[in-house]
Amino acid sequence: MASTPGLRGRRVRSGAGPSSAVDFDQDDDHNSLYSNHSRHRSSIEQFLDSEQASIAMVGVLTALAFALRFYKINNPDEVVFDEVHFGKFASHYIQREYYFDVHPPLAKLLFGLAGWFVGFDGQFQFENIGDSYTENHVPYVGMRALPAILGSLTVPIVYAIMKESGYSTIVAAFSACIVLFDNAHVAQSRLILLDATLIFFMSLTIYSYIRFRKLRYLEFSSEWWTWLIATGVFMACTWASKVNGILTVVAIGIAVLVDLWDILDIRKGHSMEHFWRHFSARATGLILIPLIVYLTTFYIHFAVLNTSGPGDTFMSPAFQETLKGNELLLNSQEIRYFDTVTIRHKNTKVFLHSHWERYPLKYDDGRISSQGQQVTGYGHADTNNEWQIIPTKALPETGRGRVVRYNDVVQLLHVNTQSYLLTHDVASPLMATNQEFTTWPKEDVVSRYNDTLFQLHLIDAYEGEAWKSKSGHFRLVHVPTKVSMWTYVNQLPEWAFKQQEINGNKNAQEKTATWYVDEILSDETGLDPRGRTGEVPAKQPKKMNFFKKFAELQLLMLQHNAGLTASHPYASSPINWPFLLTGISFWTQGEDQKQIYLIGNLVGWWACVVALSIYVGIIGADLLARRRGITPIPEPVRNRLWNNTGFFIVIWAVHYFPFFLMSRQLFIHHYLPSHLASALVAGAVLSFVMSETINYPISIRGPLMDRPRHPQEADLGINGPIVVGLFTLMMFAMFMYIAPLTYGTPGLTGEQVNSKRLLSSWTLHFAAKASGES
Amino acid sequence: MAASVRVRRPPSPPPHAPSQHSNRFPHTREDHLDADARREAASKGYSRSTLSRKAYPSGGLKVTSGEWKLLAVVIIIALGVRLFRISKPDSVVFDEVHFGKFASKYIKTQYFVDVHPPLAKLLITLAGFIFGYDGNFDFKDIGKTYENVPYVAMRLLPALLGVATIPLSYLTLRALDCRATTALLASSLLTFENGLITQSRHILLDSPLVFFTALTTFFWTGFSNEEHHQPFTQSWWTWLTLTGLSLGAVVSCKWVGLFTIATVGLGTVRQLWLLLGDLRVGPRLWIKHFLARALCLIAVPTIFYMSMFWIHFAILQNSGEGDGFMSSEFQHTLGGRGMADTFADVAIGSEVTIRHVNTQGGYLHSHPHNYPGGSQQQQVTLYPHRDTNNDWRIVNATAEGDPDFDWEEQPLTYIPSGSRIKLRHLLTQKHLHSHDYRPPVSDVDFQNEISAYGMPGFAGDANDDWYLELESDSYGRGRGDRESGKRLRTLRSVFRLRHALTGCYLFSHKVKLPEWGYEQQEVTCNKNAVKENSLWFVETNIHPKLPKDAPKVNYKLPGFLGKFLELQQVMWTTNAGLTDRHTYDSRPDSWPRLRRGINFWVKDHRQIYLMGNPTVWWLSSVAVVLYAGVRAFLILRAKRGYRDFENTKVSKYDGLCGFLFIGWFLHYFPFFLMGRQLFLHHYFPALYFAVLLLASVFDLLTSNLRPKIRLQIAAVLIFAAFWNFTYFSPLVYGNPWTKTKCLNARWFKTWDFAWYVGSFVE
Repeated sequence: MASTPGLRGRRVRSGAGPSSAVDFDQDDDHNSLYSNHSRHRSSIEQFLDSEQASIAMVGVLTALAFALRFYKINNPDEVVFDEVHFGKFASHYIQREYYFDVHPPLAKLLFGLAGWFVGFDGQFQFENIGDSYTENHVPYVGMRALPAILGSLTVPIVYAIMKESGYSTIVAAFSACIVLFDNAHVAQSRLILLDATLIFFMSLTIYSYIRFRKLRYLEFSSEWWTWLIATGVFMACTWASKVNGILTVVAIGIAVLVDLWDILDIRKGHSMEHFWRHFSARATGLILIPLIVYLTTFYIHFAVLNTSGPGDTFMSPAFQETLKGNELLLNSQEIRYFDTVTIRHKNTKVFLHSHWERYPLKYDDGRISSQGQQVTGYGHADTNNEWQIIPTKALPETGRGRVVRYNDVVQLLHVNTQSYLLTHDVASPLMATNQEFTTWPKEDVVSRYNDTLFQLHLIDAYEGEAWKSKSGHFRLVHVPTKVSMWTYVNQLPEWAFKQQEINGNKNAQEKTATWYVDEILSDETGLDPRGRTGEVPAKQPKKMNFFKKFAELQLLMLQHNAGLTASHPYASSPINWPFLLTGISFWTQGEDQKQIYLIGNLVGWWACVVALSIYVGIIGADLLARRRGITPIPEPVRNRLWNNTGFFIVIWAVHYFPFFLMSRQLFIHHYLPSHLASALVAGAVLSFVMSETINYPISIRGPLMDRPRHPQEADLGINGPIVVGLFTLMMFAMFMYIAPLTYGTPGLTGEQVNSKRLLSSWTLHFAAKASGES
Repeated sequence: MAASVRVRRPPSPPPHAPSQHSNRFPHTREDHLDADARREAASKGYSRSTLSRKAYPSGGLKVTSGEWKLLAVVIIIALGVRLFRISKPDSVVFDEVHFGKFASKYIKTQYFVDVHPPLAKLLITLAGFIFGYDGNFDFKDIGKTYENVPYVAMRLLPALLGVATIPLSYLTLRALDCRATTALLASSLLTFENGLITQSRHILLDSPLVFFTALTTFFWTGFSNEEHHQPFTQSWWTWLTLTGLSLGAVVSCKWVGLFTIATVGLGTVRQLWLLLGDLRVGPRLWIKHFLARALCLIAVPTIFYMSMFWIHFAILQNSGEGDGFMSSEFQHTLGGRGMADTFADVAIGSEVTIRHVNTQGGYLHSHPHNYPGGSQQQQVTLYPHRDTNNDWRIVNATAEGDPDFDWEEQPLTYIPSGSRIKLRHLLTQKHLHSHDYRPPVSDVDFQNEISAYGMPGFAGDANDDWYLELESDSYGRGRGDRESGKRLRTLRSVFRLRHALTGCYLFSHKVKLPEWGYEQQEVTCNKNAVKENSLWFVETNIHPKLPKDAPKVNYKLPGFLGKFLELQQVMWTTNAGLTDRHTYDSRPDSWPRLRRGINFWVKDHRQIYLMGNPTVWWLSSVAVVLYAGVRAFLILRAKRGYRDFENTKVSKYDGLCGFLFIGWFLHYFPFFLMGRQLFLHHYFPALYFAVLLLASVFDLLTSNLRPKIRLQIAAVLIFAAFWNFTYFSPLVYGNPWTKTKCLNARWFKTWDFAWYVGSFVE
């Protein structure tokens, strides 16, 4: 996948090469038949290709991009859609409070930086969509300016990608216009959202990789290294902006593998040593350096967020203790035998609870219980939640020997009913596969002594580690039957007051069977135990290895990302995206009937879909024709089509198809990176359809280029500007037509809303009713 | 695939050395042909040396009479292994709960819905039917003792198909040009595979599935051989058609059969691609190749599959517990569910019953019980059965303050779209009502409660008013006509009801009310209503002023195609909905490692536990990995200029193993993409390919050895498999076992057949 005529196509050995031994690059295999010299070039093309024209074009595009993205950027002065989240995260950075999110930190750090720069104090919490910024004195325009700037800069980068790939100026402008006049890109860039940053870095990655590939005849030169490393750095930034950025890494990875595969080819005449040199260069530039950049963003993230905040509870106790003012840090204490404690389930937050009522003899499904005392999970504080820890070994009178430790075998005495916690081989009320938990009276404990023994498995602990309240997460494993005390969100019937079932899970290693001691209520003598350890109250945050912190957070991010499966009214399935069937309602305001509805430019998106299908058609026809021995497309054009446009197609596919496998909530803005790639494809296809000429060769000449090329230049003639001009006009018209939905202003009457509803599947607000007087 | 494996030459001839070939096999047979005949032969795309038609066995299957005897012995052993004490246990085992029950339903012709296509179930039913099963056993729980059920006959069907798989594996390998020893090895390993044995001894669908997969593979191999020999002969057509029929059968057993279709499809595409690159094959001939395959491998299986459903519908003519999955139209095709014709024209004052379109929840219903929370007014629900509490009267709401717009006196007034109406519940004289209370279960902002409110004689308030919005005609199933898009008509019009004051839509979804609502379906008023769930239609209609001979309507009964397509959709959604965890489910990555089995049955200190034969299982997995590794290495070598693939031996075994590897891969990998419950037995079709691959790897590794030594190695492997089989056989047959032996057999903690402490005697 190269920016230039590449290495893939079928070789047609001319045999006429001066050095046939090194005649490995079929780029050379064309003859003057394909070349057309500049003297045949139309004057309009010559003019457009001049440097001044190109600069002017970039200038116009960039200016327009800034204008469209900054137009009324202060409107609405209310929290819109996911600004709820990303705005809040920015304020957490400014307040330095730890928070948890599924996305890597770079883009959010930039928002935090922007907010800090424009003087945001972080007090405003972005609680609800529609909260006013002006009333709360939030300098939101400065924060929105960041994605708007990055989104605007994406447009000239798209232009540059196409230009570097050897397409005519007008074709490059065409691709840039698809992004420039796209309502979805504009709407997404004007708000405090991550996608503009993601797309900006993604386009920079593509650009750098193309520059890198164009230097392949000057391998290992300093320029070559520069662009290789630039690719790696931008790739890491893409990934660090949003979790979908990993797809960019995959896309570049595929291109690099294809490239390496070609270098490996014996017919290239490279030695294995040479191959390994290439391999290690790419490993450094595209694996090692990006990893360092990615980790650095997390390093900064942890360094900034050093105070306790809403994200604490997601993390492990060890992690939490590194945060200033964390509850665990302040209140965690060693537990001693005969302490009375409350025990809480980590996931569902219910207390281990028991009361005098007994299990019914017979359940509805006909199974029989032990009729023992009920043990349930209860959500609220209650004296029935109190348990005393009873030792099973001899204790010293005083001192550290009385501390409960990892792997100790204990009994738990329910204080109010004076009975011991017990489990046995009787099916639990709701799950026939799990064991029932009950209690056994203290007086009669001898008869069931063994069944009341539980071993304490502290999580991630070492032998002999002390058991602590709050931070000492543990599993309680029953000694005789090896089941683990477990609970899950399922209510028992009326006879247990709809409390949560607690049972014994046969998988003793079950992750969700984790509990912790919430509070130490009193010690053996009934005194309040606080301060018995005599430690200084103001504890210093503990240190934790950065890599451990990173690994923990990264794992949690992956788990939570997969867990975002709740339905959302504007979530849509990927098949709808390229056709623009549904959008997202970002914001509405009732009085003036204003709304922001994320939807793309219908002309642009459908043109992209058409271009993609034309591309598939061309490639299919080319394959079939070649199979039958016909070569319909000239070699340089074909190479460009396969390698360069193929690279764009890979980017499009890699950023699109994986979503089909994801079961999480999906939104149309997940398609925006793919849309950008499809805009690139659209340009390439337009160029192919309009003319069989391209700028060739475009790789930088170097010592490895063994033969002089027969250059040719792209020439679309007068048709190019006319077609592109007309198309741009249509795009602009469509853009303006939908603009009220993009900018959220002006308000629309019901009839206007109906007329803007171009596809019946768009769910706009304030539509006039077809019938009735409402 | 099976391509290019027929050449047998000495391994690795030195490059560019003059080949012995032409001397040993001179092209004498072609010498007598004239140039035209030779050109014709070439244009068909087969090599010159295969011109000889003499002694070409059908499907390329050269099996000597001695081998047939050998095969007979193998079959007898397989019969012994599979049928041993098949009548034990005499109680329900594992999924016999389902598939036995389905057989009962077939015999009693009661409609049911299952996620699997009908063929295997029909076969099992047939076996039961022939042996006089009356369908009266309920197969309720695992371990329930059989009474008056010819369960042995029903179990015999999968068992015999399981036995038939063994000779198929032998013949397939022979057709793939492996040695007899290799074929014997594969068939013996499959014979002693505990998992396949356990699975085929009970009333389960996987044994038929594996059998038809094996059958398809065999036919396809035969077809590929014919294709190499000469296309478009009579026997070429026979093998091709048989492949198609067998494909239809696989996919009619379980949808997993689609993977077999993918395997054959990939092979077909490859053949067509090679033909396309052969410039001697003209476009006309190529299209003939294409059409022949399209006919036999697409049309034939489709027709087969659909005819299975035709039989399915033909048998299940009566209403049963599967009704609730189907649409109202479908339900009315079932016996006992029919409905008399009803008046077509709905007018102000009509007594109607109203049904929900999208869920099978039933009729808009109200009964004299109140909501325990919210407004504490009378409940409104969806109720699936006919009942007088489903009757509502449509009352005009435009006449302000007029409690009884005089529909009895006034001329008949039809109800156009946009009418403002009230719905009065006939028995309680209350109106369908909505207000700003949250519904009892779906307690969210955008939903309002629906209740019945009012009292006899009370005209109702504005919260009882609804706008009728007719959907433009022919929504969904093409039920409407032009007229019913404009005014309300029974069965033909589909409409939404918009609450006049709050603008929310009358809505229902698959959410059940708790016990106080008799577990009927919740009805709410939804401001963000999904359109499909807010559509309703009138099912019955009576109006006193309508003359007796007024036009009547009834459901438009769906034809076979409509029923077929609807059932496919229901099966698909049900299948995708099977996401609950099961105690013995497993993820695909654990299968090739044989990490854990499935507990089938435990009773009286005996246990049946589905577990593979570790020797066979692990060796086959090793073979798969070995092939993949070696193949990757060879590709790398080729890239660096080594010419391994020009070696005939490499190319022969690459074609052979490649085919089997792709078969394994396509029957295994797609499971990773599935979110539903998966079990170890889903691996069996892939295991079949893996064992064949193991055998061909054996064939390759022993190709330089003397036949005697090869046979000895095979014997050792077979013996190892046999020993391992007997070692675990108590779990297969539910034989008595001692606790010590059982605990010794637990080589890994994850093999949890002894968790049930005390299931074996001490």
